[in-house]
Amino acid sequence: MRTTNWNRFFIICVLASVIAGVAGIQLIRIQNIEGAKQILADSEAYQGINRMIYPERGSIYDSDGRLLAGNEVVYEVGLDLQAIQQPETVASVASSVLGLDYSRVLGYAQMTPGNGNPYFIVLDGFVSKDKIAQLESIKEDYANRSTKRGEGRPNLLGLVWTANNKRSYPEGTLASNMLGFYSFLDRTDGIGYFGVEEAYDDLMAGEPKQVYSAIDPNLLTSLEEVPPGVTVQLTFNREIQAMTEKKLDEAIEWSGAENGTIIVYNPETGEIIAMATAPRLDPNEYWNYSELFPNPKPFNSAISSTYEPGSVFKVLTMAAGLDSGVVTATTTFNDTGSLNVGGATIYNWNMGGWGEVDMTGCMQHSLNVCLAWLGMELGPDRFYSYMKSFGFDRNTGIDLGGESHWPLKLPGDGLWYEVDLATNSFGQGISVTPIQMVTAIGAIANDGKMMAPHVVKAMVIDGKQYNIDPVVVGTPVSAETAHTLTTMLVNSLENEASNALVEGYSLAGKTGTGEIATPLGYTNSSTNTSFVGWGPADDPEFLVYVWLEKPEISIWGSEVAAPVFSDLVSDLVVLMNIPPDSIRLADKLGTSSIAGTE
Amino acid sequence: MKKNLVQAYKQAPWRTQIQWIGIFLLVLVGVAVVAGVYLMISGRAAATGRRIQSLEAEISALEMEINDLKTQYAQVSSAKSLSERAEALNMTLLDPLKAMYIEVPGYVPPSQPALAPPPTVEDISTPVLLPEFTASLWDWLRLQVFIEPNLSTESTESNDTGLISPAPTEVTP
Repeated sequence: MRTTNWNRFFIICVLASVIAGVAGIQLIRIQNIEGAKQILADSEAYQGINRMIYPERGSIYDSDGRLLAGNEVVYEVGLDLQAIQQPETVASVASSVLGLDYSRVLGYAQMTPGNGNPYFIVLDGFVSKDKIAQLESIKEDYANRSTKRGEGRPNLLGLVWTANNKRSYPEGTLASNMLGFYSFLDRTDGIGYFGVEEAYDDLMAGEPKQVYSAIDPNLLTSLEEVPPGVTVQLTFNREIQAMTEKKLDEAIEWSGAENGTIIVYNPETGEIIAMATAPRLDPNEYWNYSELFPNPKPFNSAISSTYEPGSVFKVLTMAAGLDSGVVTATTTFNDTGSLNVGGATIYNWNMGGWGEVDMTGCMQHSLNVCLAWLGMELGPDRFYSYMKSFGFDRNTGIDLGGESHWPLKLPGDGLWYEVDLATNSFGQGISVTPIQMVTAIGAIANDGKMMAPHVVKAMVIDGKQYNIDPVVVGTPVSAETAHTLTTMLVNSLENEASNALVEGYSLAGKTGTGEIATPLGYTNSSTNTSFVGWGPADDPEFLVYVWLEKPEISIWGSEVAAPVFSDLVSDLVVLMNIPPDSIRLADKLGTSSIAGTE
Repeated sequence: MKKNLVQAYKQAPWRTQIQWIGIFLLVLVGVAVVAGVYLMISGRAAATGRRIQSLEAEISALEMEINDLKTQYAQVSSAKSLSERAEALNMTLLDPLKAMYIEVPGYVPPSQPALAPPPTVEDISTPVLLPEFTASLWDWLRLQVFIEPNLSTESTESNDTGLISPAPTEVTP
């Protein structure tokens, strides 16, 4: 009896083991067939979501911490086709609130997702908060609506919206020539164009990151942090920039000039205090760019437009002459009114001779013949060596996108002639950008040290502020030369009773009237009028460069650009809190203490 | 005699069965307790994970909101709008020659505002969650039994050789 039971038990065990074994083998086999691997691979797509997270673009602030470029919230509104229950309601609300075409939205809403059709359709990528508030209000109203028995409640299921960042420029056109713009309509591949937005695009954009978030609660991990892009603080003050732009616009209107540029620069640090050009684009509507700047009009003429500056360039020729020892401030020159160089005759602006004049007189009366003579005395090697030291053979390297320069013609080049040395000496036959002029003449106002011009003062990276130190890019002339020339230019302005003078302040400066080259030769019926000046002369805190292109009221820089300089500096000293010399120098000598203005 | 002796020390069969059933139930209860604890902890971890994700989403939304408000504030206080308001109030720019300068002993002009602290400030960062709160039981055991004893031994050995081993501190620039 016992043996029979044992045998039965043994047979059942064997059978059960065989069945279990077969089932086990089958399990292993099923898990390793191609189909199973495919299912496993497909299942991973449902275990979590891979998302590309774009960091918030860095903001731009002025020197006082006022926002110039930031980010505002806009919404992307779309249709989740799988969730739509009432296509007509969705189309009606979307068309009335968002201003879309009803039949087009209805067509989308009635689509069956899959089989080649999308699951999600974007209706509008940049919807304002106000419109989203309207949609939310309608949605709530539908949810609270009482219905009769058997009657369905209207709903907006399937109409979804998500918040996104959009680049915003709260000051509109203010300083847009320096800020540039970001093509925010392209949400994934937008880039910065011109100005700071272009120069610092990589830093401000940050690093987009692919982030995986698991759906399985047991696999949940903290979302990877995507740090925002670098925030930059600029060197210019918003109020001074606004004032400078206003003065430029008024000057263009008053003078009938085609265009204009004003740069306010700190010669001691190389910081741009203001940079105004016309026209200016509202970066919030950057798609108007090609309309406002038809080719080849530059976006920022201060760094991209080259022109023959005329007599403002004489400052640099005289600096070279003084620094090399060819002349001193008291060296005299007998001006006969003309000078023949390489078969061409150079004349003064009034076609007359001024007799015996010293170097201050040459600058005061802006004598072409005198400066051409000085250029010839320097000789091409020394003259062009100085011009290279002043940076006219290269870009200044200002941290704004879009800078360009015109190559410096040098002896040995096919297009250089001997007369070029003479004409270059008084600023003709040489093309420069306003920023090149500002950087070079800044050296005269800063003890001979030429600073790198820049607009970014500091950067905020990972919550820490890194200040940018001023950089000396060269010392083209000695401090002694710089001081002598500044004194000469202070005297020449005062002796001339220039329109550029500002009561109470000692200023050094020089006018410029550049003839414009045309296919038929130079014309003096329309000119480029300029003025460069700096002050206070004993301790310069600002250098102002004014360029007005083809003014109608006068062809002379002394009559067009100089008064604009004076008008601007009158306001600038207030905004920069620079007291008149009498008070400032008394304070320096210790007889008074300035605390502020009232 | 020998048979009687064996019989005297042998358990009754029903006692043996009860003992086995007891052991089985004890194991079963143990497994159930471990499974229950595991289930409770993983349930709470999952709920906390979801909450963290939700809070992170909220942080992200609030950051967007803050940026939006900053931009809105900048729009209403833009140079143009302030200038218009100043003009409406008949305010004009100061004439520098009409300015009156007054002496204020000890006055220090305001410095330009900084957007963030400078990088020279060293801040010792402390982890928000200590490893005791994030490590699994196994990680903790491994740390206590295998890693930390070795570290303390090395430290002692280093000190024996006269080398200085400062306490590790995390300093971010």
